[in-house]
Amino acid sequence: MTMTDDNILSDLSVLDLSQGVAGPFCAKLLAGLGAEVIKVEPPGAGDSSRSSGPHLGDTSTLESSALFSYINTSKKSVTLDPALPQQAQALKTLAKDCDILVESFPPGHLESVGLGYSDLTEANPDLIYVSVTPFGQTGPYSSYKGSDIVAQAAGALMYTIGLPDKPPLKVGGEAALYTTGVSAFSATMMAVYVRDTQGFGQHVDISAMEVMTVSQIHSSIYAQFGRTPARRETNLVRAKDGWVSPGLETGVQESTWLKVCELIGKPELIEDPRFTSQEARRANQQDLLDVIADWAGTKPKEEIYHTLQALRTITGYVATVEDLLVSQQFVAREFFKSLPDPEFGEVAHPRRSLPNGWQHLAVTPRTPIGRAQRRDTVPTPGVHPQ
Amino acid sequence: MDLSQVAAGPYSTMFLGFMGAEVIKVESLSRMDINRGKARPGPDDLRVYPNGDPGERPWNTTAHHVHRNINKISVTLDLSADRGKELFRELVKVCDVLVENYRGSVMDRLGLGYDVVSKLNPQLIYLKISSQGATGPEANYGSLGSTLEQTAGLASITGYEDGLPLMTNLVYPDPVVGILSFGALMAALRRRLKTGTGCLVDLSQREVTTMLLGESILDFSVTGRVAGTMANRHRDMAPHGVYQCSGDDMWVAISVGSQNEWEGLCQAIGQPELATDTRFADPESRLGNQDALDQIISAWTEGQDHYEVMHLLQSRGVPAAPVVKGSEAIDDPHLEARGFWDVVEHPEAGTYKQVTTPWLLSKSSRQQSTPAPGLGEHNYQVLHGILGLSQGEIDTLVAHGITDDTPTE
Repeated sequence: MTMTDDNILSDLSVLDLSQGVAGPFCAKLLAGLGAEVIKVEPPGAGDSSRSSGPHLGDTSTLESSALFSYINTSKKSVTLDPALPQQAQALKTLAKDCDILVESFPPGHLESVGLGYSDLTEANPDLIYVSVTPFGQTGPYSSYKGSDIVAQAAGALMYTIGLPDKPPLKVGGEAALYTTGVSAFSATMMAVYVRDTQGFGQHVDISAMEVMTVSQIHSSIYAQFGRTPARRETNLVRAKDGWVSPGLETGVQESTWLKVCELIGKPELIEDPRFTSQEARRANQQDLLDVIADWAGTKPKEEIYHTLQALRTITGYVATVEDLLVSQQFVAREFFKSLPDPEFGEVAHPRRSLPNGWQHLAVTPRTPIGRAQRRDTVPTPGVHPQ
Repeated sequence: MDLSQVAAGPYSTMFLGFMGAEVIKVESLSRMDINRGKARPGPDDLRVYPNGDPGERPWNTTAHHVHRNINKISVTLDLSADRGKELFRELVKVCDVLVENYRGSVMDRLGLGYDVVSKLNPQLIYLKISSQGATGPEANYGSLGSTLEQTAGLASITGYEDGLPLMTNLVYPDPVVGILSFGALMAALRRRLKTGTGCLVDLSQREVTTMLLGESILDFSVTGRVAGTMANRHRDMAPHGVYQCSGDDMWVAISVGSQNEWEGLCQAIGQPELATDTRFADPESRLGNQDALDQIISAWTEGQDHYEVMHLLQSRGVPAAPVVKGSEAIDDPHLEARGFWDVVEHPEAGTYKQVTTPWLLSKSSRQQSTPAPGLGEHNYQVLHGILGLSQGEIDTLVAHGITDDTPTE
């Protein structure tokens, strides 16, 4: 059997009952590998993310959310309300034929309308049922409500972010929720592989809090090793048009520093004991940043990035979304793809979040609410409002 | 086979170990995983060891190594020596997956790149995690988690009201890439089931990180708006932020989206009249009067325990959580009840609680953590048990500096 790289999941269908960011992002990633994803939204206002900003038009409509448009590419949309018995029955029928179900209701809700894991596995024993919630299916906080900032706080990620004299700071945007969607995707892929090789489905339980506790990466271990990680000062230096981190205090060869001194027109620094070794540069980091700042302030940030990286430093520059769209690296790898939106014309999307070559053609723009495109996915007449 | 270092790669192989894979961590005596710290640490390096004590073999006890390299066995091989390369090639033949995150072309320069190893083992899945991806003008650029946050745009939307971009200090892209890598490997394994062949998985950390701000990219491409920092505020929700509580640097995070949540908050703080206050009547009014809201809430949280504030607000249906410190996370009752932490008894670093997996599968339970291996701890197990070398042959390798259990530098 031969296959192209974007149809790894083309034999699978996904019923996406989830709302917001995390669950739908998981389903988007599955769609990116070729799965057929049917998105089910409540009639009326639809998925809650449809009302989330930013909006692409002057007014907020059901079809104008950039957040929704990004997260729901390559899906078909139908509207059904699981709270109504007849529509719950239609959902049950859909769930009989799907391979993966993704949901984000409060734990217990779908059980209460006859759509819990054990309800659906009677007719579909191999079903992979993915629950994506703020705190998971069990435990004392399982009924608690969440959000991006609540996950970052509860998971011990947020405490160490920000400056020492200011409050803890969240990572911007919806980073925790996207990461939760990534975890759900990876766990689902594991469950798919297990089903392929061992022949059974299962219930996948994703807690945004735990995703963040995994992502805090060292606060918990340092706390046990007798040290408390805390918020700290930034090492960014102002460039002519933004910010850079020169990256000279760690991971560079000694010869690199000599070249940097020549580059910035300060050869006298080669002999300066504050900077003669990596340890010294780290110990005198603020002095080092001040010295670089005199030079960097006159240069564009991306030029500094390329110039210093060419000397094998670990330099960074703070890219804005505007900079990202013209990054030559992203252009060369065709990272952004322009998709025609039915209302807003050409819209740039990050094309893949999976490896190069895996997500070539599968991306299609959001479908307007309730507009499923394949007849066999449309539920019983009269239930599906068109 | 795990050649990866630092965070993203080791995290992905840690997850593979949790889900039952045998993970062989390959290092060399002259270039250990950076997570192991220095062979001979100086007085300024002690903060990474248990209670500041490096012990007899410091490279086995650093926090990063102990915490990220669990569930693996360790073998050392000098990949710059011909015999080391030879043994590496033998090992590749019996592995399913190879993970590395060196700078762009390092493996090619060693003569061990994908083109070479895929011929030795056509079923091999080769996960190449790199800063920028395996292609493009920046393919050989180096990065750290913090520089990825910059070049991927994440720092541009992270920061306080003054607009200064900030990084997380937590190498945030690394765990995200580690978690995604696991799913990418599972997809590649499924692909192998169908096609019978392995493949190269080219994962760019920068690209993965940029996906975290997709909505801002769509928005810019249509409206020209450039997203910036918003402190702890949100485009649609108010109040939304952290509020100081009793204790040293203790805070609670609160976010209010729906009208029900707003009314719940007014009840919880004992000011039900606020629910009808015209300044806060609907989401738009609340977004316009956030400073006033923040003052009211701060005045209420001040002096209260941050966990108690969560329980009270959540009992009224309001999303809230304490801003948990690492020291609190390890004792959190919810994580405890869900069995999130594994207690690991590390022979040299002591007993500690270990992060596990960001998922629970009802039928594929995770393995109990095994301690991060000492450098070369499993040389015999791998060289004899897997590659069939005799003790004498291994002794010869040791004599030539190709393998051992003590770093050279």
